[in-house]
Amino acid sequence: MLLKKILKSFGIWCIGLLLFTLFTASSTDAADIGNCLLCHKYPGLSRVDKDGNFRLLYVNEDIFHQSVHEKIQCQGCHTDIQKIPHDPAKKVDCFIQCHVVEPSSETKFSHKEVKSFLEASVHAKIDEFGNPKKFSEDMPICLDCHDNPLYRPLSFFKTVRPGISETATGRCRVCHKKDEFIYRFYNHITTRLHKIRNPRNVAEICARCHDNPELVQRHELGTRAGYSYGETFHGKAAYFLSERVPDCLDCHVNKGRSVHQMLSYKNPNSITHKNNKDLICANLDCHPKATPGMANYKVHPDFNLEQSPVQYYFTVFFLVLAGGTLLPVMGIMGLDLIRRLFPHAGLKRRK
Amino acid sequence: MKPATIIKEKNGKRYFFRFTLNQRLQHILMASCVITLVLTGMPLKFHQAFWAPYLYNLFGGIHTAPIVHKTAGTTLLLLFVYHLIYATVTIVTDQVLPLKRSGQLTPKNLAKTLLNLPIMPNIKDVKDILDLLKYLLFLSDKPPEGAQFTWKEKFDYWAPFWGIVIIGASGLIMWNKELVTRILPGEVINFALIAHSDEALLAMLFLFIWHFYNVHFSLSVFPMGTVFLTGYLSEEQMAEEHYQYYREIMQAAGLEDQMLLPDGSRPQPSAADEQQLGEITVSDLPEAAKILDN
Repeated sequence: MLLKKILKSFGIWCIGLLLFTLFTASSTDAADIGNCLLCHKYPGLSRVDKDGNFRLLYVNEDIFHQSVHEKIQCQGCHTDIQKIPHDPAKKVDCFIQCHVVEPSSETKFSHKEVKSFLEASVHAKIDEFGNPKKFSEDMPICLDCHDNPLYRPLSFFKTVRPGISETATGRCRVCHKKDEFIYRFYNHITTRLHKIRNPRNVAEICARCHDNPELVQRHELGTRAGYSYGETFHGKAAYFLSERVPDCLDCHVNKGRSVHQMLSYKNPNSITHKNNKDLICANLDCHPKATPGMANYKVHPDFNLEQSPVQYYFTVFFLVLAGGTLLPVMGIMGLDLIRRLFPHAGLKRRK
Repeated sequence: MKPATIIKEKNGKRYFFRFTLNQRLQHILMASCVITLVLTGMPLKFHQAFWAPYLYNLFGGIHTAPIVHKTAGTTLLLLFVYHLIYATVTIVTDQVLPLKRSGQLTPKNLAKTLLNLPIMPNIKDVKDILDLLKYLLFLSDKPPEGAQFTWKEKFDYWAPFWGIVIIGASGLIMWNKELVTRILPGEVINFALIAHSDEALLAMLFLFIWHFYNVHFSLSVFPMGTVFLTGYLSEEQMAEEHYQYYREIMQAAGLEDQMLLPDGSRPQPSAADEQQLGEITVSDLPEAAKILDN
């Protein structure tokens, strides 16, 4: 009887545990059909590759499930992995067709379109005639700018703030029953109503190349763009995590275009071309009353003697003024302190 | 308004009048504005310093601190305008109108009067600086005998005067960039930023090092000077810093035989002197005030 009772309660516990596991398991685990996290969930999983670089192979599930690729299977991008344990994986090709179906066209989704945009942009590896550009190896590839971006949902109830609006999702539930779908869809839409990165992150990513002295010199860029942006009010506000100030993309990408379609300032169609520059500041969301004169403000100043001698000497004037004022008075202060310690030690008196 | 007493006696100690209530209030408002401007401006100048975000967040961070900065800046500029009016009215009332009444108001006399104002730099200041250097370098045991305003005080007055003009004008340019660039080229904003930022740093260092040392941290005033609150300076400090002016006041009050030494110490009296000192009071001070006012 006792044994029967024990078995019964054990059975109930087992069923309870099973149900608990089923209901509490993240539904996004479904993306890991290949059970890759069986190994990659361990924080210490790493190796040193043949080039001697340390590579961390750990995948943080919680973070991955907050990312825009949460529903993509590992094999969707790592197409060369066919067996487990697998050989060293090849670099991911972002332009492959993945298993996600794009709902508006009902075709398989691909980032391939971005490739054609990039090839016509200032960051293309080839020129307009299809020939490789000089130092084309310096031009960015997807992974130079992109990691696996996280969702940054926005709530629009009375005011705008980061996060999910339960007021909005409540209305979604009228028609859509699955919370998992509602939250993912909400994240997908509202994350794209603003930038996936804040202005500081954007500037830091651009600065990886544009503040690299060798690269700046090789491509005759004339200024360290990230550094000089950081010296402006916009850059400083971005550093303090303001989301309202313009970052690199707000000024360098034509309205209605993607960053992948950024054009050179020499291109007459570019917003940064000298004939169009005034439209940047006069943007309705920025300085609508700005005149073309305001666009002559040097956003990327590098006040060296060669490029901007007037500004250079102006800066030197203030440096000399500061040094010329502070050094003598600090000298007097120091002497004053010493003299007060020895008030009757004058040489004349000693004589 | 009742004229201020030149010498006040409290608890057996003499105090010498320096600043009116109006001037002290102007100074306190200015100091409050400057400190606020420094606290909300320097985190932007040194935005990558470890302390910058913490300090900036105390003022509400990037969305509120600039509003606090602009409010303090506007208050300081309004105070500057008030001070210009105040100084002009004071000069006209005390200097120009008496000249006019006496029929001596000529451009030459006016220029001479303005150049002789106690706050204007003059040859004596150069001499005092040289004497101070000699004293500090142990070449002399005699410190300079300061006038009503010493060269240090004139420096403390005129440096912020220049600073407010430069920092205020450049701040207004950056604040009203759309308006300014209707008339001037966009590069003017670059110049304004350099001037605003670098001059503000100089002003901050000058005030917090030099001015604070002279009025609060110097061994003779430490831990805090109180003249900016009370308007009166102790006799020891008066003798040490403004000996020439101190002598003029004491002589006008008939108290020259009770004067301190230039280093602020009391002379060792002889037995006969002690007898005489016991009989002297400062009851004639209102008379002295009248003499000095004239």
